[in-house]
Amino acid sequence: MSDNIQNLQKSLSERLPQCSVKIRKHGGVELNSSKENLVGVLAHLREHFGYRHLSHISCVDWLEQNQFELVYILWNYESRIQLFVKVRLARENGSGISIRHLWPQADTYEREIAEMYGLPFDGNENPRELILEDWDAMPPMRRDFDTRAYSKEAFYDRPGREDAKDVRSVISGRSGEEIPEIAIPYTRK
Amino acid sequence: MEFSIKGMLNPLLALQQAGKRPHTIQFPFEEKKVAERYRGLHFNDIEACIGCGTCSTICQNEAIDMVEIHPGDSESAKPGDSGLRPRVDNGRCCWCALCVEVCPTGSLSLTSHYNYVSEDPDSFLWTPGVSNPEGRKELSFVSDTSHSLLDYARVPMRELEGKERIKSFAEVVLGYADEEAQKEAARCIGCSICTEVCPVHMHIPEYISAIEHGNNEDAIRIIYDNNPIGETCGKVCTRRCEEVCPLGARGEAIAIRWLKRYATEKAENADMIREIVNPEIKPPNGKKVGIIGAGPSGLTVAYYLALRGFDVTIYEAKAKAGGMIMYGIPKYRLPLDSLDKQVEYMQSIGVKIHFNTKVGEQISFSEIEKNHDAVFIGIGYEVPYTIGIDGENLENSIQAVNFLRDINADKHVDIGSRVAVIGGGNVAIDAARVSRRLGAEVTILYRRREEDMPADWEEIEGAKQEGVIIKTQAIPLNVVDDGSGRVKGIRYGNARMVTDEKGGRPRPELIEGDEHVLELDTIIGAIGQEADYSFIPEDLKEKIGFKSGRILTNEWQQTSVPHIFAGGDIVNRTADAISAVADGYKAVKGIEQFVFGK
Amino acid sequence: MREKETTLYLGPQHPGITGNMMVKLKVTGDTIVRAETHVGYLHRGFEKLMEVRNWMQVFPIVCRICVPEPDPNEENLARAIETLEGREVPERAQYIRVMVLELARLASYLLWFGGQSGSAGLYTMPQWSVGDRDYILDLFEELTGGRVYHMYIWAGGVRRDLPEGFADRVLRVMDYLEKRLKHYDNLMLDNSIFQKRAQGVGVIDREKALDWGIVGPPLRGCGFKHDVRIDDPYLVYDKLKFEVPTETGCDVWARALVRRREFEQSISIIRQVMEKMPGGDFYNKVPNPLHWKVPAGDVYVKTESARGEFGYYVVSDGSDKPRRVHVRGPAYVHGITLLEHLLQGANLADVSFIMNSLGTCPPEMER
Repeated sequence: MSDNIQNLQKSLSERLPQCSVKIRKHGGVELNSSKENLVGVLAHLREHFGYRHLSHISCVDWLEQNQFELVYILWNYESRIQLFVKVRLARENGSGISIRHLWPQADTYEREIAEMYGLPFDGNENPRELILEDWDAMPPMRRDFDTRAYSKEAFYDRPGREDAKDVRSVISGRSGEEIPEIAIPYTRK
Repeated sequence: MEFSIKGMLNPLLALQQAGKRPHTIQFPFEEKKVAERYRGLHFNDIEACIGCGTCSTICQNEAIDMVEIHPGDSESAKPGDSGLRPRVDNGRCCWCALCVEVCPTGSLSLTSHYNYVSEDPDSFLWTPGVSNPEGRKELSFVSDTSHSLLDYARVPMRELEGKERIKSFAEVVLGYADEEAQKEAARCIGCSICTEVCPVHMHIPEYISAIEHGNNEDAIRIIYDNNPIGETCGKVCTRRCEEVCPLGARGEAIAIRWLKRYATEKAENADMIREIVNPEIKPPNGKKVGIIGAGPSGLTVAYYLALRGFDVTIYEAKAKAGGMIMYGIPKYRLPLDSLDKQVEYMQSIGVKIHFNTKVGEQISFSEIEKNHDAVFIGIGYEVPYTIGIDGENLENSIQAVNFLRDINADKHVDIGSRVAVIGGGNVAIDAARVSRRLGAEVTILYRRREEDMPADWEEIEGAKQEGVIIKTQAIPLNVVDDGSGRVKGIRYGNARMVTDEKGGRPRPELIEGDEHVLELDTIIGAIGQEADYSFIPEDLKEKIGFKSGRILTNEWQQTSVPHIFAGGDIVNRTADAISAVADGYKAVKGIEQFVFGK
Repeated sequence: MREKETTLYLGPQHPGITGNMMVKLKVTGDTIVRAETHVGYLHRGFEKLMEVRNWMQVFPIVCRICVPEPDPNEENLARAIETLEGREVPERAQYIRVMVLELARLASYLLWFGGQSGSAGLYTMPQWSVGDRDYILDLFEELTGGRVYHMYIWAGGVRRDLPEGFADRVLRVMDYLEKRLKHYDNLMLDNSIFQKRAQGVGVIDREKALDWGIVGPPLRGCGFKHDVRIDDPYLVYDKLKFEVPTETGCDVWARALVRRREFEQSISIIRQVMEKMPGGDFYNKVPNPLHWKVPAGDVYVKTESARGEFGYYVVSDGSDKPRRVHVRGPAYVHGITLLEHLLQGANLADVSFIMNSLGTCPPEMER
């Protein structure tokens, strides 16, 4: 099996020099592509490398790097090696590129990512709403969407729980301990 | 396809089922008996619960609140208990029982009870154990240390082998490596119950968390916030904190002391401490404070007052600072350079120390009073009690505190090859272990049982590992003379323990005729000490209140003479370094209030 | 005369399947012209929630992504974390996990027996199969403390060991279910009415099956012998003997036969597991859950659930909380792209019937 993976990595590197190809620590092979090359790479993998099964398309918000990462997870039923194709996109005003002409089920994934991350896909314009309805706030799966603030605003707390106390404050209040600023980030939340 | 005969007739075979016994039970006439580990409604053993709130922290539904069962519970609770108890919002709970799996005491369980109907949606809030006392009989999904998510076993501390130890005064405890410390710190549940019993209320969960994150410098800063001798405490603290650690209820408490030792030792010298702690030093405020005794309480007062812009001077009778932690604690527990480093750091931020300056000899108390806006007395208990038996004054019958002081001051003490130590406290154990290092065979004679010994259990274990013999229920009767004024042995009687009618702890009673003589070269007495107040002028002594040898103070360590403050062993009864630090820390506030008239 | 096009809304209250969703149908007469799947009635934001919960707190969330068969979720999450951490799972725990997953498959197929025949109007079958499913739920209750949401498989192994005598009770239920299959056949699969309803209905284009992301019984009903347990074995499936049944009809009937035969395979797997069950530990303890950090990395793990490939894409940034947990349920494809496609030209009465045959499960479409 490890031979197969090495062979695959080798031939992918030769055939798709525009991508960096590496063997993954936790199994399978990973390709990093640019947005421009993505459709060509995926089509090539599908037609020439037997990657007919698109398992999954995921989006990860790397807020700190101001990027979205799209992860296409493919499976080859013959060689039984998992393939990850990753592409990094600008987080603000960026866009992905649709592959629904290659795999029709990609349409659903693209709809969800557009809706939940605010990342549109070229070639899949004006997608139908999937899960949300008339949502005009920040797309909720973005890392900077504050779920707690949203739920505080959208719902109300059932009365009766206001008397809850914090153990740390009770103990320090009782002993007269003054917790310095430097320690506060380390206090149990 | 056409309909087949089989396909038409086979479904009719279902009619065979008619008349068979049904699989259902006749609810509500028959209650379903649930499985043994069913996850039903909660029960909490209110007595066993200590209100650490870990259940509330882990609950991903945010269904658990920590509340007072009766108003004021959180104020009146005993140390080691927050006084709060979990209340579950059953409208949010999903009965995953993570709360049970992280409960350190095992008080929280789920019961077999699952049916709860009410018209009032607010009645879904209920306090397990209070709302359902009968739940005790219905426990089903219970906590067990073998599948708890908490780790009840301490990361063992590496130590020198017993045989290796007695060859020198090298530090016995070797300390945690980074990984060990982080692993031990990761066991902490962060509840903070420990902080209350710490006399100075160190920010324990916070510095442990900093260590766990690998942020040792933050840990050092947090430790120095209210303890300037954190490294000393990291080595020799009596650590009452560990006694109330919730993990100790069913396992081993977090090694709080060793973690503090680990963090503080990361600052290898005074400059590094200065660099890491980088304290804000306020500009001079023109106020002067004189401190008598450079022990833990005096050093604490000096350090925090100096940071607040006071001009502080310590008058120390001996050649080195530290008081009892310098002269009373053997170097295999607290190496000299460790203490020097801490004192040097304090001097670097402006604490002045006059060494070899005994008040009453080199300088008078009145002069100190005259030159300072306030005076703090922290002279410690340095004068030993005598055992009170015949022959005690023979030449080689010595006192533990003197013995330890001489050894720490690098003086030669000839104790011969057979030594008996009388007493059961930490000083007795120290004297015994030091004697072992000087090559003697050592026996400790103690009146009561081992579990009654006031000494730290780890010290007792350490002594045993080093070959110290502990003879318990042995009452010294008299010292046996060799005829030339030297000790030949000690006569002692074995005792039995009898219950105290007044309800006190059991006391030893001599067994008639069960007397023995232990042949010896040296007897070391270690049954306690007192203070020497002779430097205080008589008229002032009368104004300062005393009680059983201790100075009386208010909560700010202020005596009845307003400008005189006191702390440490001469004030508190706990006789340990951390209480002295606490006294010092309180005195800092007291002195500030007094001097500025707040 | 040209018939007028009418819009019908099927759902959102459990439109013949387990969960809330809605199919918007354009029909002329009772023939469907166009179908649109509408989800959003069950969105609980679990994936978002998991990003603000720590690694241990995530564990009780995932089972709720699938009511009929929660265990693949638990197993996937646990295995993803274990892979990222390089944590060993004791062999006993692996066997117990297989047992749980196969029991869950049986329970899920029993619900399917009920749903598939119920949506064809055979109302006796759901009564039987849902009743029989309760015997499996009894086993789950005894093993895990919960009947539906088991919260049992977690990182490092399983939560509690098998109770005394559990194996006997499992085997007794297996014997019972095996006997019941004969009755199910009489009532459902040998029933001409059911056959007539199922054959030639909901036919998947065999050429497209592999490219459309179709998995599980629908894929095997098209003649493709693909099963994650064989293709990408996890746990101890490679130590067990079982067949992967296939059919070539590509229709509801073929999918029903595949499930019916897999039911027997699962019984056989459980019997093997009970026989081979090794001793030893059932849990390799994870660190204190309040401080638990999982090394940075990403991993895609999958199980063969009763509805096909169930995957978890888990990303850790090395902190105490997951960076991303993305769930791939088979219904995400089956219930949207495939269903909308298959319903074109279908008969209105077959909508729930086809949905059932595809294993449509709304909670996993929107998490």
